[in-house]
Amino acid sequence: MKKLVCYLFLPLLAACFQPVFAQDAPAAQTILRGKITDKKDKSPIAHVSVAEVDKDGRIVRGVTTDIDGNYALKISNPNHKVSISYIGYKTEELDLKGRTTLNMAIEANTANSLNDVVVVGGRRTDNGNLSISDKNLTIATAKIQAKDLEELGAASIDQALQGRLSGVDITSTSGDPGAGMSIRIRGTSSINAGTNPLIVVDGMPYETAIPSDFNFGTADDQGYAQLLNIAPADIKEIVVLKDAAATAMWGSRAANGVLLISTKRGIIGKPTLNYSFKGIRSQQPKTIPMLNGNQYSNLIPEEVMNRTGTPLNTQTVKEFAYDPNDPYNYNNYGQNTDWIGAITQIGYAQDHNLSITGGGQKARYFASLGYFNQTGTTIGTSLTRINTRINLDYIVSERIKFRTDIAYTFTDNPKGYSPGSQANEIRNVALNKMPNMSIYEYNEQGILTPNYFSPSQNIQGQYPATYNPVAMANAAKNRVYGNRITPHFNLSYEIIPRTLVLTGDIQFDINSTKNNTFLPQIATGRPVTETVVNRAYNGDFDGFNVQSKTNLVFTPQLKGEHNLTSLLSFQTYDNKTISNQTLTSNSASSLLQDPASAARTQNQDLSIAAGFAQTRTIGLLWNAQYDYKGKYIVNGGIRMDASSRFGPAQRFGYFPSISTKWRVSAENFMKDVKFVNDLSLRASYGQSGNSPRYDYSFYNNYASNGWSYLGQGGVYPSSMELSNLKWEVIHGLNFGMNFIGFKNRVNIDLEVYRNRTQDLLFYGLQIPSFNGYSAVDMNVGVLDNQGWELNIMTTPVKTKDWVVDFNFNISQNQNIIREMSPFYPTQNRTALTANGQYQAFLQINNPFGSIYGYRFQGVYPDKASTIATDAKGAPIIGPNGQAVYMRFNYPQTDYIFQPGDAKYEDINHDGSIDYKDVVYLGNSNPKISGGFGPSITYKKNLKITAFFNFRYGYDVVNGTQMTTTNMYGFNNQSTAVLRRWRNPGDQTDIPRALWNAGFNWLGSDRYVQDASFLRFRSITARYTFDQKLLKRIGMKSLSAYLTAENLITFTKYTGQDPEVAPRGITGPFTIVTDNSTTPPVMMLTIGLTTSF
Amino acid sequence: MTKRKLILGVVGLMVFSMLSSSCKKWLTLQPQDGITRQEFWKTKEQIQSAVIGSYASLLGDPNGSDKSLSEYFFLWGELKGDMITNGIGVTNDELDVMYVNTLPTNSITKWSAVYKTINYCNTVIDFAPGVLENDNTLTQTQLKAYLAEVRALRGLMYFYLARSFRDVPLKLKATSSDVDLIQLPKSTGAQVMAQVEADLKYADSNAVFTYGNAAIDKGRITKYTVKAMLADVYLWQDKYQEAADACDFIINSGQFGLVRGDDGWFNTLYYKGNSAESIFEFQFDQQKLNSFYGMLTTSRARFFASPYVMEQVYTIDFVDDTKKDIRGEWGSVRTSDNAIWKYLGVNPGSIRAADASWAHWMVYRYADILLMKAEALNQIGGRGTEAIQLINTVRTRAAALDATNTNPDPTNKNDMTDYILAERARELSFEGKRWYDVLRNAKRNNYQRKDILLNMVARAVPGARQQSAINKYQNPDAHYFPIYFNELLLDPNLVQNPFYK
Repeated sequence: MKKLVCYLFLPLLAACFQPVFAQDAPAAQTILRGKITDKKDKSPIAHVSVAEVDKDGRIVRGVTTDIDGNYALKISNPNHKVSISYIGYKTEELDLKGRTTLNMAIEANTANSLNDVVVVGGRRTDNGNLSISDKNLTIATAKIQAKDLEELGAASIDQALQGRLSGVDITSTSGDPGAGMSIRIRGTSSINAGTNPLIVVDGMPYETAIPSDFNFGTADDQGYAQLLNIAPADIKEIVVLKDAAATAMWGSRAANGVLLISTKRGIIGKPTLNYSFKGIRSQQPKTIPMLNGNQYSNLIPEEVMNRTGTPLNTQTVKEFAYDPNDPYNYNNYGQNTDWIGAITQIGYAQDHNLSITGGGQKARYFASLGYFNQTGTTIGTSLTRINTRINLDYIVSERIKFRTDIAYTFTDNPKGYSPGSQANEIRNVALNKMPNMSIYEYNEQGILTPNYFSPSQNIQGQYPATYNPVAMANAAKNRVYGNRITPHFNLSYEIIPRTLVLTGDIQFDINSTKNNTFLPQIATGRPVTETVVNRAYNGDFDGFNVQSKTNLVFTPQLKGEHNLTSLLSFQTYDNKTISNQTLTSNSASSLLQDPASAARTQNQDLSIAAGFAQTRTIGLLWNAQYDYKGKYIVNGGIRMDASSRFGPAQRFGYFPSISTKWRVSAENFMKDVKFVNDLSLRASYGQSGNSPRYDYSFYNNYASNGWSYLGQGGVYPSSMELSNLKWEVIHGLNFGMNFIGFKNRVNIDLEVYRNRTQDLLFYGLQIPSFNGYSAVDMNVGVLDNQGWELNIMTTPVKTKDWVVDFNFNISQNQNIIREMSPFYPTQNRTALTANGQYQAFLQINNPFGSIYGYRFQGVYPDKASTIATDAKGAPIIGPNGQAVYMRFNYPQTDYIFQPGDAKYEDINHDGSIDYKDVVYLGNSNPKISGGFGPSITYKKNLKITAFFNFRYGYDVVNGTQMTTTNMYGFNNQSTAVLRRWRNPGDQTDIPRALWNAGFNWLGSDRYVQDASFLRFRSITARYTFDQKLLKRIGMKSLSAYLTAENLITFTKYTGQDPEVAPRGITGPFTIVTDNSTTPPVMMLTIGLTTSF
Repeated sequence: MTKRKLILGVVGLMVFSMLSSSCKKWLTLQPQDGITRQEFWKTKEQIQSAVIGSYASLLGDPNGSDKSLSEYFFLWGELKGDMITNGIGVTNDELDVMYVNTLPTNSITKWSAVYKTINYCNTVIDFAPGVLENDNTLTQTQLKAYLAEVRALRGLMYFYLARSFRDVPLKLKATSSDVDLIQLPKSTGAQVMAQVEADLKYADSNAVFTYGNAAIDKGRITKYTVKAMLADVYLWQDKYQEAADACDFIINSGQFGLVRGDDGWFNTLYYKGNSAESIFEFQFDQQKLNSFYGMLTTSRARFFASPYVMEQVYTIDFVDDTKKDIRGEWGSVRTSDNAIWKYLGVNPGSIRAADASWAHWMVYRYADILLMKAEALNQIGGRGTEAIQLINTVRTRAAALDATNTNPDPTNKNDMTDYILAERARELSFEGKRWYDVLRNAKRNNYQRKDILLNMVARAVPGARQQSAINKYQNPDAHYFPIYFNELLLDPNLVQNPFYK
């Protein structure tokens, strides 16, 4: 029955339009004849449209003129108008008034009349549903015109936005082509990774999520982030909705903020052809200096000797034998190889965009074609993208409008093969790899062969911890192909002209991704019986997404100074994902790279899997904006959300919001304050709900075991029923101030906010494992996410020739836990008795990010210095009358410190370094972060823009320093270890080399550093050629520019990249660790924009 | 006109609201890969597949995120013993356990894999009785037989926990929903053992004698399996008469016997598995391999047989080197490199391929029963001669060397204890029993034979750490594992085992 209602709905909707077409009874038919000529030279024009138009501007019937400019048009109603239009000419519209002949001379358009028709009432901002003028906006937003970003060498718009908007933090997960970006608006309101904001393109949400089961065969789903595969050149502007009152419009998926993107649309005028080109050169800066082969071969035997007391046996460990009588090992292990250099190249990219735009009164079009090709700075990585878009507007009448947008994107993205964990990524392995090893193999006679030197194992271990990175870069494959098509249809109908408007949107999104990986034997060197040999993977993931939105906007024409707009919106979302994955190994040859080729499948390590998941949501929203005299503005609404991810008991959520604005400058008492153009105060409160990330979690699911027992299939409960799981509700509170003054030359926005997340959703919360499960998704507590943002835009100089703009944004954000479930642990799971570990605690009412560890005091130079001392500095004497030496973790571990060991401060002077000596070392929450930059324009031709970004007052753990100076394993180390302690009496800050023993790199302040920085992010010089000059060569516009990015970073930090924290602080136990081995890639871009 | 449109608008709105009432149905989605509890538990076949699922979890973690149970049981039974030594691939955690330096951060002490299987058993115990309402063809007897299987399995799991940790939380209800999550305190070792006994007694009276198929009888729990478990449990609790009776039930059934000690002995018993001697084995096969191959063979093997095994346990006949204990060279050990052969061999001298590493994990076999009975008889007293006969049955089959026959006085309980323990080491080497055998004999009569344990440590732990290890083992609390530190962080009711506080 209910289904029937659904089917009834569409015809009913159609019925709404029925009366429009059947309004007036037609009168007797007459025929209108005439001739159309050019006003200037009086010549007849062919193919001119002559049409009968009703009072709503809808074409009833139309004809075109013949070669002599003559036409004959049947008229159905003498009260209608006639419209005469021709491309390049002004459109004329006349009343018929019973005429039967109409000759007309039409006038050509002037060349420069290329303007967007919508130039009414100042700038407007669309929250995706209602378009409200910037002046009356009651919510916190940030806005950027895509024009400001087009000079950057970014492949996608999210890369280009980095650091540009206050309160919006965008960081890249890696520098390789096609790598995903993480976007955070005002920090995270959830303590889980993967809290990207909702992206809305042209009024419809844009799917960016990856199904949760699609993760085997690759390291992480971030690698798939096909986020924002919209060509930056197609984008007109981006608006970020920041406060909860604004995001409440978009419901559950908008809890982390909304990024509204509008693409370019057709404008009235002759067809204009735009072409833009970008060429980018990117280069990896120098990495940290590492030991060469000889230095390395010196270090390792010493390291082993320090541990075992006996020299390394080079009879069995041939790697360090250096025996010329054994030419095979002598050559293969006697090199000075720069592994990083061997897999690095200079990256180039080219970006071409061709678009055509134009249109007449009835129809407008924008069509574009883009081609982007980039090779990464690591060999074997690249990205090719082809994208097309066509945006059509058809205006049937003043009351009915259609819009059709169709976008298609193809991507081909070869990435580096990912052996499973980040530590084993190719650049890391190259950095750690023995430098005395050869890239290519020498044979038994000592002659170089073209084969890669990939021993199945050596002293460093075996795949995946080590392998031949050059072979991996060249021969392994990890390729992601994407095909995505998004047709979007929109119909808008004014039920009551200018008062009641119905808009219907429907968008389909078909997204197909294929991932193909291959791991060849020549890179791993492993024996052919193992599954890491010629391992081929094929994963196919298809998403089918249908979304609809029906809006009813009511704007009553009120008398006096009252204005009211009200919106009723009904939204549906249906997303299906289907995945298929195959993993096989041991194909006969490294050239048989597809899992389809005969290979081994029978192994628990290999598998074939398929997945299916579906999510549906419904949103019903009512929202109204009222203003009185433009002085007092109130916006309020309520949204109902329902999601299929909840059980019936928790399914519906109701989220109200209210926001207000008081325009102080419109008050009478402000009239005399001349320097103020606009001053307003805003306050908003809103709730929005977040639904869980996974489907079907409210079922107690039973799955089949991956293997049979005694030939019988078994079933086990694979997940527990999450009946307590409910909406995570974000209560957002925002106070804002806008100031525009000094002849509109100073523009200040200040926002203070607090987002309180109640019933915080936590995924994979650890629970006591005697429950049979070790983790559960749960609502665990209350989290505050608070801070402030300041955005200043000024124009200090504005003369005839010179315009200087200066923009500045600064913000601070903190996460604080207010309440927490007893299931949530109070400290991170680390063993302070192990090297490299830091402690973090859950502290209610304290911001995240504090780091605890030992205090490093240098290196014990000799035996005498290892004697324990009491608080007064006197040696501690044991019961047997002898001096006590410093120990580690007495009595459990009871290691006695030796000369050359790292010295830690014995805070309590008990002669033992243990958990009692752990102290506060720093905090990873930046005190402030932001960006600024001037832009200088000279005579409208030359424009120079620079941009800096900074973070101030935050500490990070320099993980790279830790791993490249610990001298603990057989990994290559940085040249800093050349000054290591070697003989008693050596005064140095680098402890002795000690293989797999000792406590020389405990989590201490040695690695905790202040990572405040100021980065010269980009500078652009753009020259725009003179219009008059261009006219002569038949061009409309031409400009060229040069951009340099990541030129220089000012910092005291000794690591490679102070702008770490790809994810920043994501939870109370996050220890922000910098594992980067190179500074950010330097890029040089040249570009050209033309239009004809 | 305008009115008419307004009406239409209102109609449209009404359609909206009707739509939202049909939302409920639209929003109810069912997973397509898998089945929900509400749809499950309808037929007896479903009970069977859930029971099989519980067994299947013995072979590996269904989610693939943890070590398999057989690997844990091997590590728990052998690391603290004296029969294995470390290879180059050994982990630091494993070394720490071997050197009696187990800290609460040691990942070997994770018990989650055991509790996972317990939860699968609990699930069957909680939901299977409900099937009676839906399936008329399910009889009470059948239902009880299924319950007997999972309760016996749960008993076995808690038995492992009680022997390894002593005091552990007793979770006897299934976790099927987040409402069921609890933070439990520990129960004492005695309480846990009482629960084990209760589970096994239920199984004893309800389990089937046979499933009508030789392999299934060895892979699933029969009444004989339950008796074997009971014998072991009684022995642990010093209930010797009950233990002997349980053993007798198996011996007198006539269903089991020792595999003849000829050339095919190894192949029949260990390579093929499910022999006449076997009572309960974890059934690894080609599509689910065990983890022993990588652990014991490759150049980065984690463990080898200790030299002590060939030198002292089996010994060599220096007079006539054709005389060999068949359980020694090519039985337990490949003497050329001391590789642990039990899980690697096909026949003496020929090794399995990597993808044929499906050696079953032996839980109970007939020889074990004979030796358990001997141990019980010795403790009952006055039946030492009978015990010697049982031991001799095992020794004769294996062609044990005279050098290992200490000819103990059948009335001397202590000498007999040593003799039986030594024979158990020979017969059941590397089958995950060593530590539990040593501890059981040492702790008897209020640690009367602590010397067994201390001698073993002196033998197994290298010089530098010997004294500290011996000192630690003076304290009986140190004979049990600490609770893994993460569990303590997650459950404030849990208290660390006393030695590790």
